[in-house]
Amino acid sequence: MLYIKNILSYILVLPLIGALILSFIPSSNKSLLRSVALNCSCLTFVLSLTLWVFFNKSIGTFQFVEKFFWIPILNINFPIGVDGISLFFILLTTLLIPICLLASWDTIQVDLKKYLIAFLVMEFFLVGVFCVLDLLLFYIFFESVLIPMFLIIGIWGSRERKIRAAYFFFLYTLLGSVLMLLSILYIYYQVGTTDYEVLLTFSFTSLEQKIMWFSFFASFATKVPMVPVHLWLPEAHVEAPTAGSVILAGVLLKLGTYGFIRFSFPLFPEACFYFAPFVYAMSVVGIVYASFTAIRQSDFKRIIAYTSVAHMNLVMVGLFSFNIIGIEGAILQSLSHGFVASALFLIIGVVYDRHHTRMVKYYGGLVHTMPVYVLIFLFFTMANIGLPGTGSFVGEFLILTGSFKANTTVTFLSATGMIIGGCYSLWLFNRIAYGNLKTQYFKNYLDINKREFLIFFPLLLGTLVMGVYPSIFLNSIHFSTNMLVEFMYF
Amino acid sequence: MRIETLLFKEIVILPELFLGLSLVYLVLHCTFLAVKKKNLLIQDSVLYLGVLVLFLSCVLVMNDCLDVLELSFLNDTIVNDYVSFSSKIVIGSLSLFCLLMMQPYLAGQKINQFEYILLILFAVLGLFLLCSSNDLLTAYLAIELQSLAFYVLASFKKTSTYSVDAGIKYFIMGAFSSSLFLFGSSLLYGVTGTINFEEFRDLLINVYPGSTINTTLPDISFFDVGLIKFGLIFILISLLFKLAIAPFHTWAPDVYEGSPSASTFFFAVVPKLAIFVLLLRIFYYSFFGFFESWRYFIVISVILSVIVGSFGGLEQRKLKSLLVYSSISHMGYALIAFSAGTLESVQMLFCYLVVYSFSGLCVWSIFLLTRVKNNSLQKQNKDLTDLVLLGKSNYMLAIFFTTVLFSVAGFPPMIGFLVKISVFLTAIESSMYFIALLSILCSVIGTFYYIRLIKILYFEKVLVGKLYHPIKLQSSVLISLLFFLFLFLFINPTILYLFSYKFSLLLSLAV
Repeated sequence: MLYIKNILSYILVLPLIGALILSFIPSSNKSLLRSVALNCSCLTFVLSLTLWVFFNKSIGTFQFVEKFFWIPILNINFPIGVDGISLFFILLTTLLIPICLLASWDTIQVDLKKYLIAFLVMEFFLVGVFCVLDLLLFYIFFESVLIPMFLIIGIWGSRERKIRAAYFFFLYTLLGSVLMLLSILYIYYQVGTTDYEVLLTFSFTSLEQKIMWFSFFASFATKVPMVPVHLWLPEAHVEAPTAGSVILAGVLLKLGTYGFIRFSFPLFPEACFYFAPFVYAMSVVGIVYASFTAIRQSDFKRIIAYTSVAHMNLVMVGLFSFNIIGIEGAILQSLSHGFVASALFLIIGVVYDRHHTRMVKYYGGLVHTMPVYVLIFLFFTMANIGLPGTGSFVGEFLILTGSFKANTTVTFLSATGMIIGGCYSLWLFNRIAYGNLKTQYFKNYLDINKREFLIFFPLLLGTLVMGVYPSIFLNSIHFSTNMLVEFMYF
Repeated sequence: MRIETLLFKEIVILPELFLGLSLVYLVLHCTFLAVKKKNLLIQDSVLYLGVLVLFLSCVLVMNDCLDVLELSFLNDTIVNDYVSFSSKIVIGSLSLFCLLMMQPYLAGQKINQFEYILLILFAVLGLFLLCSSNDLLTAYLAIELQSLAFYVLASFKKTSTYSVDAGIKYFIMGAFSSSLFLFGSSLLYGVTGTINFEEFRDLLINVYPGSTINTTLPDISFFDVGLIKFGLIFILISLLFKLAIAPFHTWAPDVYEGSPSASTFFFAVVPKLAIFVLLLRIFYYSFFGFFESWRYFIVISVILSVIVGSFGGLEQRKLKSLLVYSSISHMGYALIAFSAGTLESVQMLFCYLVVYSFSGLCVWSIFLLTRVKNNSLQKQNKDLTDLVLLGKSNYMLAIFFTTVLFSVAGFPPMIGFLVKISVFLTAIESSMYFIALLSILCSVIGTFYYIRLIKILYFEKVLVGKLYHPIKLQSSVLISLLFFLFLFLFINPTILYLFSYKFSLLLSLAV
């Protein structure tokens, strides 16, 4: 039991240790490199599962808290801890990293060592973002994620346009977040520390709250992404390698929503209520616009990228309903989107590895030659629409119920997004899976192999469990959300 | 506070004395050596002698009597306090690294004159004196000593028109700005009757609004305040010229581009800290009462520098010009801390300058160390696109370069980020929100050209077969030392903050 106390720091440093070991293995020994990276990330996942096992579901405060000193002279330290909100994001990260490594098992041959190191370092940063309890440290991790992702898009991306995409990704996110940095400095100046639990005891004036909320919003909205600043997302998704897209859709987008829940809500509650109609308007525009845009895309990955925009904006609606049901739904929808969108990008990756194109028009009738693949594709398409029995349904249902209490018009408009979602998902599935085989384009067809099936299996299982018995997840989330909502109202 | 023993008084300038005397000896030694033997490797031997001399004077600096807060010498013209101590240590170690990194370049460019090293040592002597100068005239002489060495260093490649052109430009602009400094000093002397920094402080102590600390001294109405302000502005402008801060930066791109790379390396990295020390001594220690009047000029310079630095660098195709614009914007950030006018701001300014100088050192040494193979002209790597080769031919160096670039761009998790946010923190603490917002937005634009370098390093396909020469063992050891310094400073920045805290203590006497 003694070691259980420090388990969070083990999860944090294990990927770094793995990256360090990788850097000493000669880059010619590819199989050893792959197995070390995979084992390291799997071990991290197992550790984070024990984190879940030992997590006390009946309290809403931070658990596994540890505190390290960093710059004591400026009163900036390195406290870590998890509560119900961050727990599942950590689990999602540690689950997706081994899946990403497996997904790029054969496809990445160039600079394999750098690739694996980049992924493990990114895992370190992502786990750090979710477990750190200090605003400045949060910013540092939040921004640091850009570096490995920038390199992954730029080095292992597929086309010449990747450089443009990498720039888009980097500069959009940076421009949003420097405004947040200024606010963090202002908070540090006002409070004298950036420790999260100390900040909770401090209340800012109304004007300060509004300005700072807006600068935080600029950063998180770019990450979510909300509509006017979503342009980087389709670019980055299309150009990134499959694993990059998976981690981008699966975890990086959640940094935005996590930032809202963790920092914007408790620190600036008044401004949150003040700006709620603004966020509703932007989210509804985002849902409807992104869904319609998804219908008229010709690139497989772009379609999924736009569905991500729509779903994440739905999460925003849930968050800003400011009640327990809505926020819990938003967290659950974030998780389920992390599973479903990742799986859809992996599905694209499977056919892209075989045929090296993502244009929908070249595909057709895959059900005749790749039945298992189409079955998995069907399942995740249904999950994307939000079919009962999948996690998305529970998430969307909770979000809509929660927002119904807050604003019925917004609920109605967001619900149209689900209908349009049905349109484009089914349309896409129809084009890919049914119809005649387009043998004029492709000669060889191969169904998914064992490795690829193993990639999909945990995601499939997770989505099903989340849909059939969501209480496993909701029980852990509940008390923390409850505390958050109470904190905001009182 | 003053120790009157003769023995102690001489120790005060022992490092400078040692450096100066060794230089005189080295001049004679090298002259005879060069005449006698036609020594082909004179450059190398002089370089190592110079390194030895510099190292010993650094040891002497370290050996100074640190338990004493302040010691002055030569009729109060030279002072030795924690400010000069710590800045001399930083300048000395920077110059040591510079000299060692230059060696492969000088060998490659066949610069085989011993004067090159001696001039650099003279410049270091000037910088040392500048750090501990305690009156306007000593400061002027020290500036001239280092500037004259720099003019010659800039035009050292006699066969290249660019180099001569750079030297002349540098000389004209330098002489012009020095004359402004003299003019400002004469105005101050005319009004107050003194040139000593400490006496300035004591005389003008009643300038602070509402302060009657020392009633025996004359109050502010005794002096012609307008003339003092006028003189101060002249001195400020001259020092901003030396720092190449916008709008006085226009000489810098030409001079940096034209000079031999090793010279550019030296005067881009080392002298900034010393000139900032002088700025601090004049404007914080002596004339802090006029804070409100000189602050506006600094703020205007900050705004112009961050804009010029970030937008000017966007279209540069040569690495050296890019670094010039990067340095302009960085000096702008440093000036933000300078214009804040608090104790923390001095501390953060020092942190920023130390980290900036060391990252500049890294970038420039990588620039100097990379030489393209199979090149008949022994051409130095000049265009940005040449860096494509670095990622392929020297992978570790490329990683190091990436790390340093992210640090220079002020991107987490690097030490550059920490010092940059400290600077912005000082701006926020003194309610300069607009400046903070503007410069942080400009820094995003500035980030673009750093990540363009990273793009060139990693993302582009190599079309030509040329590769770089492998770097020497000595240089690689130094490079890895610097790399670990960077990592260590991020993991444990407390050391840097403590070091700079002591630096700011002395100036707190005035603030």
